[in-house]
Amino acid sequence: MAADGDRSARARFVIALLCLTLVLSVFLSLTSGASDASAVRVIRDWFTGAVPSDGALAARDRLIVYDIRMPRVLLGVLIGAALAVCGAVMQGLFRNPLADPGLIGVSAGSSLGAVAVIVLGTTWLAPVTLALGTLALPLAAFFGGLAVTLLLYAIATRQGRTSVATMLLAGIAISALAMALTGVLIFMADDRQLRDLTFWQLGSLAGATWPKIGTVGPVIILALAAMPFLSRGLNALALGEATAGHLGIPVQRLKYTAIVGVSAAVGASVAISGGIGFIGIVVPHVLRLAIGPDNRYLLPASALLGASLLLIADAVARTIVAPAELPIGIVTAVAGAPFFLWILLRKRGVIDL
Amino acid sequence: MIEARDISVAIGGKRIVSHVGFTARPGEVSAIVGPNGSGKTTLLKALTGELAYTGTVTLNGRDLSAMKPVEAATLRAVLPQAMTLSFPFTVREIVRLGLIGGRSGVLPGEDARLPERALARVDLDGFAGRFYQELSGGEQQRVQLARVLCQVWAPVLEGRPRYLFLDEPVSSLDVKHQLIIMNIARDFARRGGGVVAILHDLNLTAMYADRIFVLSGGQLAAAGTPTDVLNDELIEKVFDCRLKVGALPSGNTPFVLPQSAA
Repeated sequence: MAADGDRSARARFVIALLCLTLVLSVFLSLTSGASDASAVRVIRDWFTGAVPSDGALAARDRLIVYDIRMPRVLLGVLIGAALAVCGAVMQGLFRNPLADPGLIGVSAGSSLGAVAVIVLGTTWLAPVTLALGTLALPLAAFFGGLAVTLLLYAIATRQGRTSVATMLLAGIAISALAMALTGVLIFMADDRQLRDLTFWQLGSLAGATWPKIGTVGPVIILALAAMPFLSRGLNALALGEATAGHLGIPVQRLKYTAIVGVSAAVGASVAISGGIGFIGIVVPHVLRLAIGPDNRYLLPASALLGASLLLIADAVARTIVAPAELPIGIVTAVAGAPFFLWILLRKRGVIDL
Repeated sequence: MIEARDISVAIGGKRIVSHVGFTARPGEVSAIVGPNGSGKTTLLKALTGELAYTGTVTLNGRDLSAMKPVEAATLRAVLPQAMTLSFPFTVREIVRLGLIGGRSGVLPGEDARLPERALARVDLDGFAGRFYQELSGGEQQRVQLARVLCQVWAPVLEGRPRYLFLDEPVSSLDVKHQLIIMNIARDFARRGGGVVAILHDLNLTAMYADRIFVLSGGQLAAAGTPTDVLNDELIEKVFDCRLKVGALPSGNTPFVLPQSAA
């Protein structure tokens, strides 16, 4: 029997449950889609090494499962986990359950970078896009996000101390500026580019390919791997920066690591999949209600639930208007926004905003 | 021993504390008193390294500015004034945070039970499972004190005294709990630790403090034992209020002093 107020046993149980959920979501994603390709058969063939009787059909199925669904599932897992964990870390850092990477301008900076490549890729930036090929877009988005974060950090840090309030407010200003510049680019865009832009901004996992995963995967995995080391410090930070310092936490280093990690992971995610909202706010929120705000459990649980939710949202996006595909950002917003409001209204007492 | 020499603190170009000297000895409760805005909290924040200061602060002979956060955390714990929390932590989870950086000083196996023991000390037995945000202000203050106690549970660790910094520890407490908390502070000092507390109640100060530092306009107005410091002249000068030390109310107006506690 756990001691009163000790939710670690429950947290471990929920994490085990979420592992199971993720496995099921992966299975669901691999087996569903616009085509009737049978993932089960492909996986069975793969394990048994059997030569399928109907060669042509099996080759088509394999192509769909290996080269379309698998990278898409892997990307969904990576991005879902990254968005949810980054949301949780940002909220811990800002001591505000509404904080989100979108809030401090990381997403806006990434958008600016990506839009610049889409619009100027054939004119001013032609040498760059020619040299980088399909990597130009993700890299531009990644550096856009990182540039905004570093600029913010420089603005908000004086004499070695980062003011979270200044950073939050500067983030809003820089977001607005980045969006205005994005607006200028959109104004310059032609009709075809406008279509590209709109779909990219709505968010989608449709562009998943193995090379793209090779580019952003390591960045996201590295950033996620660093996050568990922040959990104790983030717990202490809930009591305020000064108190965290008194408890023996190196607060400056903690903040720096969190900021760089989050901007890397978010920049990489936005680059590939555009604007997927609400995962970063809803997932940590729901989990805090279930297992409490202890980051030692909240961060891994967020990764698992974020990944599962994004896969499920993607499965919905792919099937609801099949054979066409709804941008996943629409699905997460339509499901996430009302849910978020419902949480707020129901738990107003406990979640002190 | 905590020794501070020639401490000055400026915030936004305005000097809040100027050239204050301060000493807190292990085994003693040192009180900082003074009117609102006299720089008490600012001085405490300088002594704990929270605010940048000029001058020197040493903890057991070591320069505070050269210490890593975790080293300072094993030597002293700090109770801030009321704090709000934006996440739904339980009381137990908050108290446990006291154990994350420093060293409580109890045997390794006993750390897990320490939150309950600390809560019992501050008269919050059975509160471990409650949500911090649902408690009253006075209860929250005692939860924070329990957390602080966990951090330096043993007043002396490896032969070195440790310290409690308390910023108005009894400000939102009823009289019973004021006495409980001040007794905890005195007990911590009696067992070899040092206590630095900002207090407003001069009666409680006289009753519990071994040494009083009086701040006025950011400067040290007086320092010494309660008998030395608390006199009519000083109180009128510092607090701008004509009060008589030791005078009883006229007529049959009731009055209650903490000193009368059984």
